[in-house]
Amino acid sequence: MSKNIDKLFKDKFKESKATAPTEAWPVIQAKLKMRRINRLIYTFSVLGFLGLISFILFSPQTEKTLSKPLQKNTSLKNEVILKDANVKDVNVNKDKLPVSKPQEDSKKLYATITTKKESKNNTTKFLYKNNTKTSKKTPFFKNKLGYAISEKVVKGRINLLGYSLDSLDYSVKKNLKAERKKRRKKKDSIEVEKFNNEKGRRWNVVPVFGALNSGRFSENVSTLGTLRAVTYPDKYFDDNKSSGLISNIYGFNVVFRATNRLSIQTGIFSKELRFLTEDLFLSEFIPDVNPTNIIYNPGVEVRFSNTPDIVGSESVSLSQSILYMEMPFEFKYRMFGDSKFNTNLVGGFSFLYLNKNEIRAKTNTSSRSIGRASNVLTTSTSLNIGLDLEYHLSKRLVLNSAVMFKKHYNTYKDYNNEYSPYNVGMHVGIGYKF
Amino acid sequence: MSAQAKLYSLFADKLFNVCLKYSRTPEDAQDTLQDSFMVIFKDIKKFKYKGSFEGWAKRVTVNVALQKFRKKSSIKFDDIEESKIPEEKVYVDVEEKEISLNFLLSLINKLPPQYQLIFNLYVLDEYSHKEISEILDISVGTSKSNLSRARKLLKKEIDAIKKLQL
Repeated sequence: MSKNIDKLFKDKFKESKATAPTEAWPVIQAKLKMRRINRLIYTFSVLGFLGLISFILFSPQTEKTLSKPLQKNTSLKNEVILKDANVKDVNVNKDKLPVSKPQEDSKKLYATITTKKESKNNTTKFLYKNNTKTSKKTPFFKNKLGYAISEKVVKGRINLLGYSLDSLDYSVKKNLKAERKKRRKKKDSIEVEKFNNEKGRRWNVVPVFGALNSGRFSENVSTLGTLRAVTYPDKYFDDNKSSGLISNIYGFNVVFRATNRLSIQTGIFSKELRFLTEDLFLSEFIPDVNPTNIIYNPGVEVRFSNTPDIVGSESVSLSQSILYMEMPFEFKYRMFGDSKFNTNLVGGFSFLYLNKNEIRAKTNTSSRSIGRASNVLTTSTSLNIGLDLEYHLSKRLVLNSAVMFKKHYNTYKDYNNEYSPYNVGMHVGIGYKF
Repeated sequence: MSAQAKLYSLFADKLFNVCLKYSRTPEDAQDTLQDSFMVIFKDIKKFKYKGSFEGWAKRVTVNVALQKFRKKSSIKFDDIEESKIPEEKVYVDVEEKEISLNFLLSLINKLPPQYQLIFNLYVLDEYSHKEISEILDISVGTSKSNLSRARKLLKKEIDAIKKLQL
């Protein structure tokens, strides 16, 4: 008789009445008991720890109320522990009664008394232990049983408590550290296992766009001026300040997850660096030899100078745009995170290929392309470092955001790398894993 | 009798049945049962009265069993495109009365771990392919293909044993 295999198994398992082994319940009970004990130990440890802390925090105050008045001269006002019930002529100053309960419990009553007679006739028992020399008096406390405890002993006990607290603190920290390490290890092993099980979804393509700001580490001077090696009578705008402008970056990243923590990424980006050279003026003087690093477009007959030829010369600024095609090769190391959110450290380098090199002159009323920079090299490189955040929207979609710092090298022909730009940028994108 | 003991006596057998399917030996199953009850007692507040308590307890047990199963066996699922998997029913010629539960358990235990898991989840514990794909972090297609292979392997085993009996 033929039967559907699913039904065969299902029916048999439904029919069957397997009974749980009898040994299972005692083991569970023991485990539950252990859990309760562990909870109790934990609760008491926490309470004990808090108790110790509060004792340490509040005990110096008690010490102060005890010890300070004890060092006063006994001739007029003496603070005593009234042990002797027969003491007479004692005005109990209620304001000075300590409010802490333990002291009430121990029946220590502190009072300020005014002795009617001099110390000779005084019936009260002073808190000073009379040494052979009357000038040297060592104060002491009394414990619950009425035995005298010297201040030294009390201090010693406090030190001992402090020491125990330190050692407890140390052991708690040590345990916490070990526990954290254990948990991290466990988490890592789970992640590695998960990574090994995940056959697919190691590739991630992320179209990104973002903004970046350019700058230079060196004195921020324009690289459009005269060649630094050439001594030219009029230096033109060599020393004019140049500032970086915000520009854009877009492209896509391809990420390959090589191991649980390490990924390799590359891609293609279009990146623009922009600098603005200000405080220039239109110049009538056109020298035979072009002393600047600008190759003017045909038909452009204006020139620029950092000093006006005549009063009222129109002021102008030069906006330089360097557009690169960038190909990064970077490593991404996952520092911390979980299945939802990851933080990665990114490091690597980029090859840059010059795509566009343009200089525009901007006046208050117009903007016009006047030429290109002659000293920008066609190929250059950059060193990249940054922080990358990933948020998994689903199993396949990842929201990616990165803050990158890139230092460029070999950007200019005639300037050393100090003048090469850097850029700080941020880009975002949504990647698709496959 | 404490509430915990009462709960145990009510569900222990049913949950032990679940544990048996995901364990290679009865000792492993007992271990899984104990751990499952510890989780149930700990997380009982998380039960929101959506559906039966038995269903919830079974799910907890399956989760604990899966964790243990994964620790013990390295699982590699066969990846196949969903469109290439035909929906088929597999039939076997057997007299139901002649087959014992232990025999079926031994057949399940003989399966490679990935097939065993998916067969158990889909056929015996009535999880859908979508749920399986989420639990095991695989595609629906992978779940279907592995189930199909599990069925075929089981049929092959049953047929082989039947031939031997003849």
